[in-house]
Parts: sequence; C-alpha cells; structure tokens
Amino acid sequence: MRPLRQSLLSVLLTAGVMAVGSAAQAATPIKIGVQAPITGQYANEGQGIADAVKLLVKQQNAKGGLLGHPLEVKVCDDQGEAAPAAICARQLVNDGVLAVIGSYTSGAALAAQPIYARANVIQTSDGTSDELTARGYKTFFRNAPPNSAEAIFTAGYFKAAGLNKIAVITDHSSFATGLADAVVADAKKEGIDVLDKAYINAGSQNYTPVLTKLAAMNPQAIYFSGYYTDGGLIKAQMAQLGMKAKFIGGDANQNVAFAKIAGNAAAGAIIINVPAPEDLPYPAAKEFLAQFKAAYGHQPPSIFTLTNADGLRAILYTAEKIKSVDPAKLIPALHELKDFEGLTGTFSWNAVGERTGSPYVAFEVMPGGAYKIIYPPSAAGK
Amino acid sequence: MKAVLDGINRPWIGAVLWLAGLAVPLALDQTWMFIASLFAVYAIVALSQDIVLGRAGMFDMGHAVYFGVGAYATAILNTQFNWPILATWPVAVLLAALAGAVLSAPIVKLRGDYLLVVTIGLNAIFVLALNNNLARMTGGPDGIFGIGVPSIFGWQLASASAQFWLDWVAFAATLVLIHNLDRSHLGRTLYYIKHDQLAATTMGIDIRAYKVLAFALSAALAGFAGTLFAALMAAVSPGAFVFTESVTLFAIVLVGGQGSIPGVLLGTALMFVVPQAFRQFAEYRYFVFGIAMVVVMVLRPQGIWPRRRSAGAKA
Amino acid sequence: MLGTIVQQFVNGLTVGGIYALIALGYTMVYGVLRLINFAHGDLCIFGAYVGLVVLGSGAGSGHAQLLWLGAAFLVAAVVVAAAGVVLELTAYRPLRRADRLSAVVSALGASLFIENGIMLIWGPQLRVFPSNLLPSMHWTALGARIDLVQVLIIAGSAVLMAVLYWFVHHTRYGTAMRATASDQDAARLMGINVNRVIISVFLIGPAIGAIGGLFIGLYYRQVYFTMGWNYGLSAFIAAIIGGIGNIPGAMLGGVLLGLFNAFAAGFISSSWQEAITFALLIGILLVRPTGLLGERVAEKV
Repeated sequence: MRPLRQSLLSVLLTAGVMAVGSAAQAATPIKIGVQAPITGQYANEGQGIADAVKLLVKQQNAKGGLLGHPLEVKVCDDQGEAAPAAICARQLVNDGVLAVIGSYTSGAALAAQPIYARANVIQTSDGTSDELTARGYKTFFRNAPPNSAEAIFTAGYFKAAGLNKIAVITDHSSFATGLADAVVADAKKEGIDVLDKAYINAGSQNYTPVLTKLAAMNPQAIYFSGYYTDGGLIKAQMAQLGMKAKFIGGDANQNVAFAKIAGNAAAGAIIINVPAPEDLPYPAAKEFLAQFKAAYGHQPPSIFTLTNADGLRAILYTAEKIKSVDPAKLIPALHELKDFEGLTGTFSWNAVGERTGSPYVAFEVMPGGAYKIIYPPSAAGK
Repeated sequence: MKAVLDGINRPWIGAVLWLAGLAVPLALDQTWMFIASLFAVYAIVALSQDIVLGRAGMFDMGHAVYFGVGAYATAILNTQFNWPILATWPVAVLLAALAGAVLSAPIVKLRGDYLLVVTIGLNAIFVLALNNNLARMTGGPDGIFGIGVPSIFGWQLASASAQFWLDWVAFAATLVLIHNLDRSHLGRTLYYIKHDQLAATTMGIDIRAYKVLAFALSAALAGFAGTLFAALMAAVSPGAFVFTESVTLFAIVLVGGQGSIPGVLLGTALMFVVPQAFRQFAEYRYFVFGIAMVVVMVLRPQGIWPRRRSAGAKA
Repeated sequence: MLGTIVQQFVNGLTVGGIYALIALGYTMVYGVLRLINFAHGDLCIFGAYVGLVVLGSGAGSGHAQLLWLGAAFLVAAVVVAAAGVVLELTAYRPLRRADRLSAVVSALGASLFIENGIMLIWGPQLRVFPSNLLPSMHWTALGARIDLVQVLIIAGSAVLMAVLYWFVHHTRYGTAMRATASDQDAARLMGINVNRVIISVFLIGPAIGAIGGLFIGLYYRQVYFTMGWNYGLSAFIAAIIGGIGNIPGAMLGGVLLGLFNAFAAGFISSSWQEAITFALLIGILLVRPTGLLGERVAEKV
C-alpha cells in the first residue's frame, strides 16, 4: 500500500503545485501601455485615446482577460513632443508592457520607435507621416491609413468631380504638410492646376486674410489638409466671405465638432476619410460608441480615438488567435493580419506594419450635420 | 534659513554631490538614468540662461534659440554630412555664439521689457524657420532623425550609461566654468553692469560690448548643451525649442535664484525632474506649477536659493 | 483687386478692434506698474468662457436673444474685473517693492494657473458657441462683404475705446490714473490714493478685455484654453507698437496690428506670417523704441 500512497501523494502534490503555479501564472497581469498627449494642445485627443483603451481593457477583463491574464493599463503623457515621448517610451518599457497604444502625433511616435524596437515592445500609432514605416522597425504598426494612400484617392476624386483649379491650405504640423504635399503632387499628376499652397497657423482662428487672397484667384475648390478645429472655421469664413468654391477636407476634418464649429456654413463641405463609424453597418462600432458615451458621458473626440482602439483590438484578437502573448510569436502574426474587422473599416497589416485595404470615401456634410457618401459611385449608393 | 543655505553653499559639497551622481547608472534603472542625463543637459542650458539673465541682468526670454542652433547644427552635420558627433561640437558652439552675438548686437540697447519682447519674437521666428524647412535642411515639423552616437577615439558611447557619463562630465565642466566666471574680471564686470549700470559707465566700461559678450558666451554654452541634447535624443525637432521652453528656463533662473549655481540647479530639478515622479497627475502639472511660481515669488522674491553675498560686498 | 484690398481691410479692422480692446488692459497696467501682466490674455479668454456659460443657459431665440447677449457681456465683464482685482491683490501687490523680474515670474505663474484652471473646469477640447445668436445679415460694398457680427465688433470696439478715452482724459478719476502712471510718488503727494487707482486699473482693463474675449467667441464661435496666451502676446505687441502706457497708442497699435496681419498674410506670404509680424515689431523697436505715439511710463531716475 505504501507505494500507492506515495504515488498518490506525489500526484496530489504535483497537482497542488501545478494548481498554485498556474494560479500564480493566471494572476500575472499583462500590461498595456498608452503613450499619448494627455496635456498640451492635443490633450483632447490624448485623453480620448487613454479613455478608449481603458474601456476596451475593462471589457476584456470582464470576459476573463487575455488568455486568462487580467489586463492592466499604464498611461504616460508624451505631451505630443519628442523629448517627453522618449522618456515615456523608456518608462513603459521599464514597466514591462506588452504593447503601447498611441501616440497621436507623428513626432512623438518617431521619437519612441527605436526604444520600443530595441525592447521588442509592440507599438501602434495613428501618426500618418510616411516616415514612420520607412525605418524598418518590426515592432511598429500603423493604426490609420497613411497620407500617401489618401492623397492618391483625393486626387482621383478631384478629377472625377471635374475640379481643375484648386487651392490648397495646410498648417505647419508634420501630418498636414505631408498630406498637403502628397495631394499637390498627385493632383498635378492628374493634370489639375494647383493655384497656390497657403499656410495657416493652427489655432490662430484668423483665416479671412488667407482666404481673401485665395478667393482672388478664383479656385473651384479649396482643399484643407489640417484639423477639424481649423477646417470648420475655414468653411465658416469661406461662407462669410461669400466664396463660391467648394471646401474639401482631409481625414482630420472628420469630427462631430466640424459641423458645430462651421455652424450654418457646414452644409456642403466635403470630407475625405475612411467611412465614419456611425455610417458603418458594423454593430461593433455602434456598440463601442454607445459604451464610450455611457462610460464617459461624451462621444469620442475624433475618429483617431477609434483607430487607436482598433490597434488594441487587433492585438487582442491576434493574441487570442495564436494563443500566445510572446512577442517573438505575436509580432510576426500581427504582420500577417488580414481583413480584420475594425471599428474604422476592414484592414490588414503588411510586412512593414502599414495599414492596407481601407476603402476611402468622400462624403458631404448635410444640413443637420449628417454625412452622405458621394464618391466613389459604388459606395455612394448606400 | 540663510545661514543653513550659506553653510551648505560651498563648492566642495557640490563636488561631493557630483561624484555621488556618477554612481547613478549603477544604482538606478534606465528610465532614471535617462532623466538624469536630460537633467544634466538642461542644467547646462539653465546655467547659460543664468549668465545672460542672472548675472548680466538682460531679459532674454528666447534663449531656447541658441540651444536649438547647437542641436540642429550637430543634427545636420551628422546626418547630412556624416561628421562624427564630437567633431560637430566646436562648430555647434561657434555657430550658437555667433547667433548670440549677431542677434543681440542691435538689441542690447533696448530697455528691459522691450528686450524681453524682442527675444520672444526671435524665438518665434527661429521656430517658424525650422518648421518651414529652411534651406531644405531643417527637416520641417518632423525634425531630423537618426543622429548617431558620439565616439571618442573610435570607442562608441552607445550605451545609456556611457551617454550619461559624457553628459555628467560636461555638466561638471560647466560648473567649473561658471564658478570661475564668478571670480573672473568678466564676471565682476557683468555684476556691475547688472546692478549699477551708471557706475559702470562712469568707470569707462563699454557696456554694449560686454552685454554682447555676455549674450555670446551664454549662447555658446547653450549650443554646447545642444550638441549633447541631439546625441542623447538621437533626434531634434522644432517642438523642443519653442517659446514655452524659453519661458521655463527664464522661470528656473528666477525661481531658483539669480546668479546662484545651487539655485539654478534646484530650479532645473523642480521644473523638470519632479514632474516625472508625479506623472499620474499629469493634468494638474502646469496648474500646480502656476500656483507654485506665484507662491514662491510672493514668499521669496529673491528665489529659493539666492546667490550668496560674500562678506563685505555691498547689498 | 479693389475688392480684395477692401476685404482685407475689413478683415483686419475686425481683428484689430479685438486686439485693441485686449491691448488696453496691458497698456494700462504697464503704465501704472511697469509690469507686463502676462495673465491678462488668459483673463480675457476667461471672459469668453464666462459669457459662454451665460449664453449656453439662455438657449432661447428671437427677442430674448439680445437680452441674453447683453447679459453675457455684463456678467463676463463683472466676473473678470473681479478676477483682475484678486490677481492684483494676490500676485502683484506683495511684490510691489521687490525686483521687477519677480513680478514677471509671478505673472507667468498666474497665467499658467488661469489657463490650466480653465482647462480643468471646462476641459481641454474646444467649446463651440451656440449658432444663430445674431441674425446673419451682411452687406456688400466696393466688392467686399461685411457681416453683422463684424459691424458689431468694429462698432463696439470703437465705442468702448471712445468711452475709455473720454474717461481717462476728461474725468478726475482718469486724470488721477494718468498722474499715477506718470509719477507714482508725486501722485501720492498730491493726495491721490494710488492703491485705489491701481485697483481701478485692474477693474477696467480686464473688464474691457473680457468684452474683447467675448467678441472673439462671437466672431469665431469657438474658444479653447490656450487662446489666452496667443491673443495676449499679440495684444501686447500691439500695445508696444502704439507706445506702451499710452492708451490711444494701444488702440492704434491694435488696429494697425490687425490690418498689418491681414495684408501680410494676404499679399506677402502666409507661411511666414508670424515672422513678418515679429520682424515689424523688432523693426519698430529698433527705430522708434517708444512706439508710434510715444510711451507714457513712470520715469525712474
């Protein structure tokens, strides 16, 4: 009887150790970092990103965490600047995070990239500067489609809409100047006459001088590559000056506040972006918006809240699919991401971490603030 | 309070603290080491601001320009012309000094507040030039990336600890420089220019020349720090040299104590290192700063750790 | 071409009027205290936020609208004036005898405090003003368009400036202010209660500035917490251009700055806009440091 009791005991002991071991294992939280501008001029966006990540983590934890591990969020304020971004990157790496969601500005993402790459920490960002995927960092994944893709679509839209004389306005930010330069180049390739490329100081509000100057050149349309805070004002001031030209805005103009800021002048503005979540038939997007509103009392500040949310969702989805959070396995798997149903559209991640496969549309703002898709014709039917 | 501060305000205590600082890479983790390196670099810039503001008494609120000139000089020479970092150092310092001299020469005659506003303007123009990709060299709003690591006689200072020691040694060199400046003829002349310009003129001192010299010297020192900054961050962008940075430097000198080395270092630590420890209160950071600045000035207008008056000197 | 020029003129005059109203606060404080009140711009924007609170609660339309507008201006002016006095008593008065630079840092600290206080109360995102506060009328003349809101701002600024000018030059209180600005000690000897004069400067300046801030809110229909710094700096430049301490100078400087900005952006270059403005400032300071109309500050021998 002794050997049986011994072996029974040893089995029980082993089982006990394993149980304790796996309990300890199951208890180790997985940390998700957020690097975003919590303070500074983009505080609005940064706080939105942090809120979205916290909401997703809460939802995931309610479902039992990621592969049994509870998720924890660590937020670091990069103020939208390079030096604090580098510090944040080091801190988050020190904290032992698996992945970092953010950052909002290309400059901050660029500064943090090498640090995350060296530590094999996954980094997602919606910075759209084309530089971000040009450096060969395997840990980097872009949440939002890059400027170059949008520019090609925009030029195509100009041509299809018969706009042959346009003027371009941009601000001094990295994202907007990159987008504007790309649009100007692609428009010229389509044979469109770009009358002028003008600059505004984002946030200065006083755009009538520049608009008056452009009005004298009689453009058929004014393309603005900057942010909705200025875009809305530009549309309003174009109406104030009695300008007949159309307003066409790049993706950063899409924000519920655009119509509010432009007020009565909002109707007729055309914006180019991936379809707005409100317009997508995905229940996931509507659900997320409702949950966000319930948790925080207001809508997400912009689409970039959702692109960042998609970054995290894609990571969670992939990790669950391959049943591993080991970066050595997870990172290559992320590069293989195909046709993931994001809140902001279906997308894939290619070998350099670029987001591909997102259909762009041009939509017109209706009286009342709703969007109507007007191009491409296949999408316009909706 | 004064006695205590005077008591510890001895150079050899500073030396001991500095030596202790050398152990940082061994005792603290990567993050804190990086913060300490940044502290060393910003301390050098703050001390340079102290030369022009605290010692020469000129209201320079655009000092980030010279920091930026040095940083961008190193960045451009290193990434576009493949100069080794340490070779760019003298060029960065020289260019910054030149900028300081050229920009200050026409404006040093202006009265304090006007000088203040003009330096704000110069800062704004500088940042705009960087953003507009002047001469296609400054890289626009993204700045310049991929700056290499410094190497001494072929030995690369690639690790974070090596960079830290480089910055810490440069910091020591700066402290020695400033300490000697205080005791030198130039230092005394600047003191008189600041405190009694009329008397200085009657003694035959060419005020204008000395003021430009002070500007150039402080700019050179800021440029010196700029090279270290570029190497440390491996990147430079316009956002690091905007007007808010100049305001921070200005506040550091005044809150810490004009013309006081420990004061300026304390100011740098407060404005800079302390927020890192409170990052969960990020939203409240500037709010608290604002209150703190007002409170410190009202309670202690001479700064937290003012310059020690040697016995026998006029008040 | 004429249409463009006239349009730029209208554009510039509107913004210039706002700059002038804010610049007045700077110049008056500088005149009596030799202090750059860095917190002034933030106070003006605080006024815009206060006005927004009033307008937001009176969502009516039609006749009630005008009353709500009037109430918004009044409340904003009163609240900000009170805030101005609190500012003077807490941040500046204790430093009256200290090194001037200490007061400058105190002012910077106060600016940070107000700006971030606004952010903590109302959030970092921009706030939009209700639309349809004013009927949208406009007129066309000489090839340019002018909106009702622009007329309101230009006329409103002009009226306020005229009233202030009359007050400063034709009342005893105004004379006391000018005396204090000219020589504080002599004013005291003449029996003028200098502290009271200073308090009134901190009542009038911020009140007028608050109206300017609310004009910004009405014109652009949006405000955000970092606006105070930008407008403050522009207004201060305007005050210097006109001659610091000089009230008509601030008015002139504000209008000129607005016009200059419009024409520089419109005809020279839009990407170097800011630089051109500063270059103008530096040029004026080098050639005529006391500003266009000459400065009026206390002479300290």
